[in-house]
Amino acid sequence: MPVVARARRRKRRSVPIGRILLLGFFLVFVLWPLYWMFNTSIKPSDDYLTVPPVWFPTAPTLVHYKAALFAYRGLDGLINSLIISLSATVLSALFGTLMAYSLARYNTGGQHLSFWVLSQRFLPPIGIVLPVFLIYRGVGLYDTHIGLIIAYTVFTLPVSVWMMFAYFRGMPKSMEEAALVDGCTRWEAFWRVAVPLAAPGIVAAAVFAFIACWTEFFFALILTSRTAFTLPTVFRAFIGFQGAQYGEAAALAIVSLVPSIALGVLAQRHLVRGLTLGAVRG
Amino acid sequence: MQHTATISRMKAAGAPPRLSAFAQWADRHFKWLLVAPAVLLILALSIYPLLFSMVVSFINYDFQVPGHAFVGVKNYERVVFDPVARWSLVLTACLSGLSVAIEFVLGLLVALTMVRSFPGRGVIMSILIVPLFISPVIVGQAWTLLLQRPFGPTNYILTQLLGQEVTIGWMTESPWLYVSLIIADVWQWTPFMFVILLAGLTAISPNLYEAAELDSVNAWQAFWAITVPHLGPMMLLALTFRLLDAIRMFDTIFIMTGGGPGTQTYTASYYLYTVGFTQFHLSQATAGSWLFLIFTALVVMLLVRRLLKAEPV
Repeated sequence: MPVVARARRRKRRSVPIGRILLLGFFLVFVLWPLYWMFNTSIKPSDDYLTVPPVWFPTAPTLVHYKAALFAYRGLDGLINSLIISLSATVLSALFGTLMAYSLARYNTGGQHLSFWVLSQRFLPPIGIVLPVFLIYRGVGLYDTHIGLIIAYTVFTLPVSVWMMFAYFRGMPKSMEEAALVDGCTRWEAFWRVAVPLAAPGIVAAAVFAFIACWTEFFFALILTSRTAFTLPTVFRAFIGFQGAQYGEAAALAIVSLVPSIALGVLAQRHLVRGLTLGAVRG
Repeated sequence: MQHTATISRMKAAGAPPRLSAFAQWADRHFKWLLVAPAVLLILALSIYPLLFSMVVSFINYDFQVPGHAFVGVKNYERVVFDPVARWSLVLTACLSGLSVAIEFVLGLLVALTMVRSFPGRGVIMSILIVPLFISPVIVGQAWTLLLQRPFGPTNYILTQLLGQEVTIGWMTESPWLYVSLIIADVWQWTPFMFVILLAGLTAISPNLYEAAELDSVNAWQAFWAITVPHLGPMMLLALTFRLLDAIRMFDTIFIMTGGGPGTQTYTASYYLYTVGFTQFHLSQATAGSWLFLIFTALVVMLLVRRLLKAEPV
């Protein structure tokens, strides 16, 4: 097909300047705030207000990291965030997988149950968090790790359920049916056969649940105070002060964004499924 | 039910599984036992609180006024007749609409540049998705560092580029603070549009474009005749998901402007938060959150209905 070949050759020869410019501009837009934050975090406080600004710090320092972690209790927030996010992730992945399997293989509750779970994802948190705050104060769960773990488990369940629902539906049932014929109970067919096969999907769902908990602010702001506060709520300490704490804020931001970015980039193969609750394969 | 069929066939063949009474009961109700933990958790921490807040919205529940007397629709009246509440709803609609529109156009443009593979595409992809994994609080903090006077370098860069003194109060002056909030939102969520739209674009068969090229259709016509109709369901999905998250906008406002100056950057969530947690009019806030919930439900019904009809993928 000479015509196609010629057309292809023509396409390849022209340099897509517009595309390169657009992509370059967008890359700079994405990277610039991250760079400036990093730059601020290692800059001595004397360099804050110079004109022109200090683009590359000549005398990098870790003093802001130390202050952010110890003086502003960033380390406590980090530990709380780890405990709460990990626990909620495990619970959410476990309960989500159980429910998703039932929905996918036994069509439990028909469409109503699965869409009821999905609808939870779209509830504005402000509608839930006010009464939860009152209930938690009543039963003594306010400002406890357990309270926030339960809240985060529920808040990540719709995503876990729907991601795993899509995953199980994409898996052939023949192995589980063979297990049932061989005399396994349904639980054994699920736990010994389906779960190991679905392990990559479960890990991906867990990663997205973890990132959601790790970056969550609103629930933590309202449901915790001095004991179970998470990393994002520590940033309240830096609001409204002119200048003095820029370095500390930037240092804490860098500390807190490294784990979630690392996990997210590692799981990027599953990103489309994670963002669309399994509606799109990607 | 195929499983039940195989099991009964197995039993008929004379190989009854030896199970205790409990295990038999568990096996019979297996599918309901699996959904039980998740459903119970959602009932306890989502449905029960919603019903509870329904009750609270009709009584007096205020840390400044003692007692829990029934007050009828007084809490709702207070919200509906509060000009700040109405302003916050308008602002929520405008800010989320504008942000989502910009994110959509920008995300689509970037996705179009990334469809065909080129050297370095994988690395660029990994960089572009980074904002999705960052807490909105940190995004707000990052843009504060860039924009806030006198520390942020933005005004200096603009001064150099434009050749005249620029002294914009990005977080304090009226049109600019909205620009700042939208920039922060666009920075964080354009990758969301980009990722979903790119998945849709790569699913379109390249044969269609080759055929179009043979018919000497130009790129612009091919975009409207091939790309848009094939990407339609995906566009709707991305817009729906994004819009439903955008109307919750709270975190970046909390960090960047604190709702101010005055009440100029109160979104619906921020308004309800201040009513409930800084003024402690809890019943008034729950009444307001029910109204907001109803608005959201209307949006959901409109968008999700259409989405289900379009059946993506």
